[in-house]
Amino acid sequence: MKMLVRTLDMEYETVSAFAAQAGFKTPSGDLIRRDTRGHLSSGLFPVWVLGGVAVVLLLLTTTGCGKTAAASYRLNMVESAKQRLKPEQEQQVATILAALFGTPDEPIAPSECGLDAAKLHLAAGPVRSDIVGRKNGLYREHCAHCHGVTGDGMGPTAAFLNPYPRDYRPGVFKFKSTERADKPTHADLVMVLRNGLAGSSMPSFALLSDAKIDALSEYVKYLSIRGEVELALMRAFFELDDEDQGRLPEDREFLIEEIVLPVAEAWQAAEDALIDVPEMAADIDMAASIAKGKELFYGNKANCVKCHGVTGLGDGQVNDYDDWNKVVLQAHKTVQGGLEQAGEASTWDMDADEADEHRAELAWLDRFQKVLDGNALPPRTIRPRNLRQGIYRGGMRPLDLYYRIHAGINGAPMPAAKGTVPPEDIWHIVNYIRSLPYDFNGTLGVDKPMVARDRL
Amino acid sequence: MMTTSRSTVGGCHSGLKRPIAAHCLIFVICLAVGVAAPGCGAGSVAGPAPDFEAALVLREKLASATGATEAGEEKPQGTGWATLKGRFIFAGAPGDAKPLIVDKDTEVCSKGGMKLYDRSLMVDASTKGLANVVLFLRNSSRVKEPVPTDALVFDQKSCEFLTPVFAARVGQPIDVKNSDPIGHNTNISGTSFNQLIPAGESTVFTAGRETGLPVTVTCNIHPWMKAYAVFREDGYVAVSAPDGSFTIPNLPAGEPLEFQVWHERSTGRSGAISLDQPELKWNAKGRFKIQLEEDEVRDLGTLEVPADAISG
Repeated sequence: MKMLVRTLDMEYETVSAFAAQAGFKTPSGDLIRRDTRGHLSSGLFPVWVLGGVAVVLLLLTTTGCGKTAAASYRLNMVESAKQRLKPEQEQQVATILAALFGTPDEPIAPSECGLDAAKLHLAAGPVRSDIVGRKNGLYREHCAHCHGVTGDGMGPTAAFLNPYPRDYRPGVFKFKSTERADKPTHADLVMVLRNGLAGSSMPSFALLSDAKIDALSEYVKYLSIRGEVELALMRAFFELDDEDQGRLPEDREFLIEEIVLPVAEAWQAAEDALIDVPEMAADIDMAASIAKGKELFYGNKANCVKCHGVTGLGDGQVNDYDDWNKVVLQAHKTVQGGLEQAGEASTWDMDADEADEHRAELAWLDRFQKVLDGNALPPRTIRPRNLRQGIYRGGMRPLDLYYRIHAGINGAPMPAAKGTVPPEDIWHIVNYIRSLPYDFNGTLGVDKPMVARDRL
Repeated sequence: MMTTSRSTVGGCHSGLKRPIAAHCLIFVICLAVGVAAPGCGAGSVAGPAPDFEAALVLREKLASATGATEAGEEKPQGTGWATLKGRFIFAGAPGDAKPLIVDKDTEVCSKGGMKLYDRSLMVDASTKGLANVVLFLRNSSRVKEPVPTDALVFDQKSCEFLTPVFAARVGQPIDVKNSDPIGHNTNISGTSFNQLIPAGESTVFTAGRETGLPVTVTCNIHPWMKAYAVFREDGYVAVSAPDGSFTIPNLPAGEPLEFQVWHERSTGRSGAISLDQPELKWNAKGRFKIQLEEDEVRDLGTLEVPADAISG
């Protein structure tokens, strides 16, 4: 960098000195002057060159590189490649989804989903306004750059974020107040939007009005339902009886009753599936509770140290993946394994059918690899939470910590303690965790390291 | 560098000017190449666009359709029940089982120098029987037995799951036990069941939905632990024993039955096994069709799995 600046400096001085000497630069220092023939010229280039460059730049910036197409949903190519769908089958899935859920600019939802069309209208489409003071296109304005127009967590900025933005399509959400297997409630989604997720790139949208947050939560649900229906449709091909010309039945019984309804019902059931949290005793002896919590943290019942580490720094288990990354990781392994397998097979003594199959297999593996390279983010490990920082993604209220321990975190390796660790013990662990950031065992000093890992 | 001639049009009169112009040109070329080369999102595979006209037609059809289902072809139903049995053997050489990397809780998991081995391919040395092949009936029309109420036991000890592949019925309680002195968590993928199980305790899991093909059961604390589970609505599923044999009793007789066959290490798609059998026609998805007579006990005999059907 320095070299470049020095070079430019030298060139500038050389040019100025030379220009002054040569009389190119007029006393006022203007760049354009007439040369001996009377043509306009700058010190360096004739005006027509500069003019041409200016016109070209003007054209490029004003017209752009073609008209922007309307936004469209992206198909779940990783799942489609995994299920070995043919292009006609992919198109059938895309068509069914368009029929059921519309387009990003005009979303609709089957009535079974119970989604509010007005809220979807407010959140969807390009950013625009048809009523003074009301802006539409909230999702595209606030969310799509990370979460993607399809809600696949692969927006333009996603690759640069750690952790990756949430992919709504499997319908799995981490931070909620319902049991592990259940969907989040509307209030859970609103809370995530309002507070953000501390410690991740998800910001707080508290500056948006309640109506806007409501609309965005509804739209997230819509994208999630759409994604789950897409996965169910793609997986349904394997369940078809005929193997090759598999085409899904396009009737109400299959599409609505078998595919959409289970998804919609799971979302509606979430409102009633809140975890029942017994209150912590009001007169609890906090010091004793923290001591008990420490015992449990290190003990065989809750096994917290196994992943969160003996220092609570989250270094007990660093090679695990969350469910979203695991899918991509396993896909990579499948492709690797398949390529090795196919590489070992020798086409020398294959008959025509086997050779065709072999070629088809290689073509599928090649396409899968391309999909993993272009349509999926590189898998990243998930680290257990560093409990010494006092930053908790799902919220720092004792209640939030209770939810995380009781139900675990859906989609992440964090298991549920429900049923095996009684509620009072969960409260003890919660109290111990809340004390960890302030856990300091005495005096500072050169020989008394501050870092928790060094203290033990 | 004398500045004598200024007769030429354009700026580049002297040797010193040329390097500047050349620098500018090189810069512009590099910029153009740098922008054009990676492209604007080149590399992502675009799926086919939806057929919007067909989508509109379908939308109207779904909106206007009543709840009544279209009269599809009635599946023929027979009477009575039959049994299917057989034995899978592996024609290839299984090789030595690879030891697993055990790096947590070694005082229990590697107690006394004990090693844990990969159990993905279990072949009985004397009978060449292939264990842990899963066979289940797809789409049964009727079921004989109701859902069993006593729990199926799924235990883990010495840091491994005692049953490498197990099958259960949807709605059947499964007693997930931990007989180790250390805690485990049991994570059944696809079910959102991921439960901490303290040492010596157990918890009950009931599958709410059937799985298509077997799903993995893992422990996040001890990542080498792996098992497979398959849950079916009708319960017509068998896992082959160590000697490769399996039996599925009380199958619906007198109607066509389609079975799916699966093995963890199979090279077929998603683990499906397709064999080259003269009597049974297997398709690429690892399925074969069969029809049994009432009270028949059909023995499929020895089903040989060739070496190239199993990976590695």
